[in-house]
Amino acid sequence: MADPAVSSGGSLNAGGRGSGGKAASSPAENYHLARRRTLQVVVSALLTECGFESAEKAAVETLTEMMQSYITEIGRCAKAYCEHTARSVPTLSDAVVTLIEMGFNADTLPVYAKRSQRMVITAPPVTNHPVAPKALSAGQKRTHPAHIPGHFPEFPDPHTYIKTPTFREPVSDYQVVREKAASQRRDVERALTRFMAKTGETQSLFKDDVTAFPLIAARPCTIPYLSALLPSELELQTLEETDSSEQDDQTDSENTAGNGITDDPGADKENSILPPSGVVPSVKVSEDNVIDNPYLRPVKKPKVRRKK
Amino acid sequence: MVTPSADTSVSNGVYVPGSITNGDVKPAVSTTPLADFLMQLEDYTPTIPDAVTGYYLNRAGFEASDPRIIRLISLASQKFISDIANDALQYCKMKGTASGSSRSKTKDKKYTLTMEDLTPALTEYGINVKKPYYFT
Repeated sequence: MADPAVSSGGSLNAGGRGSGGKAASSPAENYHLARRRTLQVVVSALLTECGFESAEKAAVETLTEMMQSYITEIGRCAKAYCEHTARSVPTLSDAVVTLIEMGFNADTLPVYAKRSQRMVITAPPVTNHPVAPKALSAGQKRTHPAHIPGHFPEFPDPHTYIKTPTFREPVSDYQVVREKAASQRRDVERALTRFMAKTGETQSLFKDDVTAFPLIAARPCTIPYLSALLPSELELQTLEETDSSEQDDQTDSENTAGNGITDDPGADKENSILPPSGVVPSVKVSEDNVIDNPYLRPVKKPKVRRKK
Repeated sequence: MVTPSADTSVSNGVYVPGSITNGDVKPAVSTTPLADFLMQLEDYTPTIPDAVTGYYLNRAGFEASDPRIIRLISLASQKFISDIANDALQYCKMKGTASGSSRSKTKDKKYTLTMEDLTPALTEYGINVKKPYYFT
């Protein structure tokens, strides 16, 4: 490799290195910049060889850029030539043909090489190659089965082709479910009573300490026994259902009783007001049966008028 | 594979083989001179370190089996830049002596490469550079 004998014009060096290192952050960038700087030094050395004492920064930058793209282009073109002939490793001939294609007179090379060369630039000090960041891998890749040759690429990460449902199967063990239900109910009751205690009126268990055990204050009703007497909604409904089946039997009797009452208007009004006991349930039933909702009324059978 | 013979010239960056202008076909010459030259390259180290050239060649996809090819390429690019620099030097000297300054001493030894000299030198190679004089 190169001997450490660096010699180049001082002013050229200063002009050349000034532009290099402003935003270098990652090691890859440093790696790249180091080589770029080396190219700049080389260009400066070549200019010194030609006889220049100093150079404009823009000119040195231009020449550096040209040199870098020249090398890159030779590499690309030589590779293309070599692959064009169904080879994979470039040889000397590929390089020569590339140089010819780029308009370079290759015969003058030996002459140029034997010039009084004096400058040799050291290689950049960066020795470790920046590793390309590995793609995030989750899990172990599957190994190749026997029928796949070894030089084929690896399998992708298992998460790319294995689907895992993200929910867990609910527990169906009876004991666990019972316990869960019981604890949930307990928690709900506690939370609800606490909420009602905090938002509503409370009575305290201890006289001194009001906040220790708050009890939900009881609201006294005016007539406590009223709820016991009145049938609830459900009871009302069942009552109607059972009575509607009896109404069919009593319809005729009611009609006859009603006719009887109308035929005899002169009868005691008190008697009419106080209906006979047999008709009491029917009257009550008739009052209950008059519901506003036509769909809830029981079926009305047509009156059969018997011709007398 | 035809190697260009020595009397052909490079102009405008386009390589014109002599056979086309002369009308007769030159005999194909093998690349043995360069192959011999390659042997000599083992001792000689070009100005550009092998690592740098190899780095840029690798970026282009060129993986060299023989380190001498890398040296050949680095030498070629060196010569490329040197030729341009020499042309720029000629321009610089022309501008200096054209005004008829003192002939007794050679024009001051301090030559500075400026864009004004570099641009016409590059134009001869077919490379047009336009650098803005200022940056806003």
